Amino acid sequence: MRSWGKRLEGAAFRALSRADAFMNRLYTWRFNPLYHSGALVVVLFIAVTVTGIYLLFFYRVSAPYQSIARLQDQVWLGRWIRSFHRYASDAAVVAALVHAFRVFAQGRSWGPRTLAWISGVALLSVTLICGWTGYVMVWDEQGMVLAREGARFLDALPLFSEPISRAFVGDRLIPNAFFFLNLFLHVALPIGIGVVLWLHVSRVARAALLPPRALSWAVLGLLLGLSVLWPAALGPAADLFRLPQRAPFDLFYSGWLPLTRNLSAGLVWLVGGTLAAIFVTTPWWIGGRSRRVESMQPSFVVQRLCDACRTCYLDCPYEAIDMVARTDGRPGLVARVDPALCVSCGICAGSCAPMGVGPPKRTGRYQVAAVEQFIAEHTLGPDDIVIIGCSSGAGNITRGTTFDGACIFPVDCAGSMHTSVVEYLVRSGVGGVLIVSCPPRDCWHREGPKWLEQRLYHGREAELKERVDRRRIRLAHAGLAEPYLVRQELAEFRRELAALEVASAEEDIALSIECAAPVEEVES
Amino acid sequence: MGRPVVVALGAVLAVGGMLALGALSQIPYQPEEATHAVIRLAWRARGVAVEECRTLTPEELEKVAVHMRRTEVCEGRTLPYQLRAVVDGDVQVDETIEAGGARGDRPLFVLHDLPVAPGSHNVEVTFTRERAPAETTDSMEVTPARLELDRSIDVAPGQIVLVTYDPDTKTMILQDAPATR
Repeated sequence: MRSWGKRLEGAAFRALSRADAFMNRLYTWRFNPLYHSGALVVVLFIAVTVTGIYLLFFYRVSAPYQSIARLQDQVWLGRWIRSFHRYASDAAVVAALVHAFRVFAQGRSWGPRTLAWISGVALLSVTLICGWTGYVMVWDEQGMVLAREGARFLDALPLFSEPISRAFVGDRLIPNAFFFLNLFLHVALPIGIGVVLWLHVSRVARAALLPPRALSWAVLGLLLGLSVLWPAALGPAADLFRLPQRAPFDLFYSGWLPLTRNLSAGLVWLVGGTLAAIFVTTPWWIGGRSRRVESMQPSFVVQRLCDACRTCYLDCPYEAIDMVARTDGRPGLVARVDPALCVSCGICAGSCAPMGVGPPKRTGRYQVAAVEQFIAEHTLGPDDIVIIGCSSGAGNITRGTTFDGACIFPVDCAGSMHTSVVEYLVRSGVGGVLIVSCPPRDCWHREGPKWLEQRLYHGREAELKERVDRRRIRLAHAGLAEPYLVRQELAEFRRELAALEVASAEEDIALSIECAAPVEEVES
Repeated sequence: MGRPVVVALGAVLAVGGMLALGALSQIPYQPEEATHAVIRLAWRARGVAVEECRTLTPEELEKVAVHMRRTEVCEGRTLPYQLRAVVDGDVQVDETIEAGGARGDRPLFVLHDLPVAPGSHNVEVTFTRERAPAETTDSMEVTPARLELDRSIDVAPGQIVLVTYDPDTKTMILQDAPATR
């Protein structure tokens, strides 16, 4: 099961990488909607809530269809607000599905992210149920069919002494209480969505709840245009004395109808329950890609080296680091990693100037040792460029040792790379260092590229030292399926470097002398 | 690809995506073909609650704690009805309808859809209560012991005709339009 799951995950990942690359070409990584699918759901949820409040003023439980029909007749406002409400709900389902696919494909559904996955499945389920109640509210053909199907499913459960389906046979009026309860659910469920959303993002620091403003406005503007130019149709009123007529049905909320119409309610519960169980238990049967599992050891802190600068505490994307009282007799605070919250992203390794924190074998110290070995093994001169590539992206070039004549120094995440690595390379006399990270909104570790840029160019703690020639450094972003971007950046960088003086190598590059200690001692 | 081409492609994809969203949001769909009609049997009837009592044997009483020894135990139930529906001479339904609820003390519910071809049909429906045991005690009788309907109907494609029980007149009736306020 697990190997099958990994194969599925791998295939999804390849498809996603290609889709990302295509969308990056069209919209650039800043506005790629696939990168912002989760945040787009939040924007759409807000839009649906605002328009829903407006619609609520016009809805009458005693005359549901008539009240919606009156809204539909309001050409200048009611019609397009209702359409916007509906289209935005549909778009929210699409965005949520893309987000779920993305998380699954990138292997981010398991381990410490299990809670986010399960709460995400709950969010999508509640959203679909909320949409269901929304369509029943309208009480057109689609609403009637959905209500009857829902009643049929509920009647299969040994919960109600009187079959709910009886309410829809037409011998008596459907009680107002039914429409009131339905309306109550339609209003109450979004409140539940808000609570589960809080749970969904509770494990991450600085959750990106909103996409870039331009993207939000573009999506809302397009939905508005669609609502005005092509308002959502209102089907014929529900008629309990006619078989369902041909009417407009919403694929996103009623797409399952053709599948369940001819199945018994018990079988629908069985199939639905099985599917729900598969989705909920994904974190267990997928288990993540093996290389991730192997590197999942939590970070540790060397108290002797910690100077309580708080940067790792601030930079940690999962709020896994606390500042606590020291226990080594020195005054002040020291960082402490909570292994239960740590996802082993290594961002803290890049944020610690004295190299006193990070996952085992990936601290700044190990990185410097690795780059020393890299320099020793390669004969690099002033004409050479070294590409520091993120192994989760960077056009997938880190699988090789060279790319277009440049040597490759792979790193697990560019955000976890200590700036001393860059300093070491530049001072050893290479012509230039091209750092290729994943696009900022596609970092497997969430915020790596953002912190890296600030450390390189904006003096964030663990910054690249002033003595390093910035002209010989270039930061670029490329997804896994975008080697062409790396090629472009490399060519441009080569042109810039050609205009510079010849790089010179330093004989004795001493880094972090103040906290030097044998690696073995530090990590034991 | 040049920049103008990329921008144009991006715009086309965005607009196309929105149009696809609009189209998928309102796909014409008919859950079932309306080439036939339906005779729907649906009603709720309060049955006759009976209580059956019997005297415990001395052996049975021995097994019960002294302070719990009642010589007579009674169990209540609602008498079932036999539902039979015949359309144009063909028996479509012939089943026993038990009262609802885990203890069988809720009303009896009937809900059956009988698909028929459009046109004229003869419908005979009977709903007959099981004979009560002689030694039982009849409580309040609400639904008659036998309900029946024998009618000719003319149905159009897609039409649903409802056969239901009217508790006011205590008769089985045919209804082809929804109740109004």
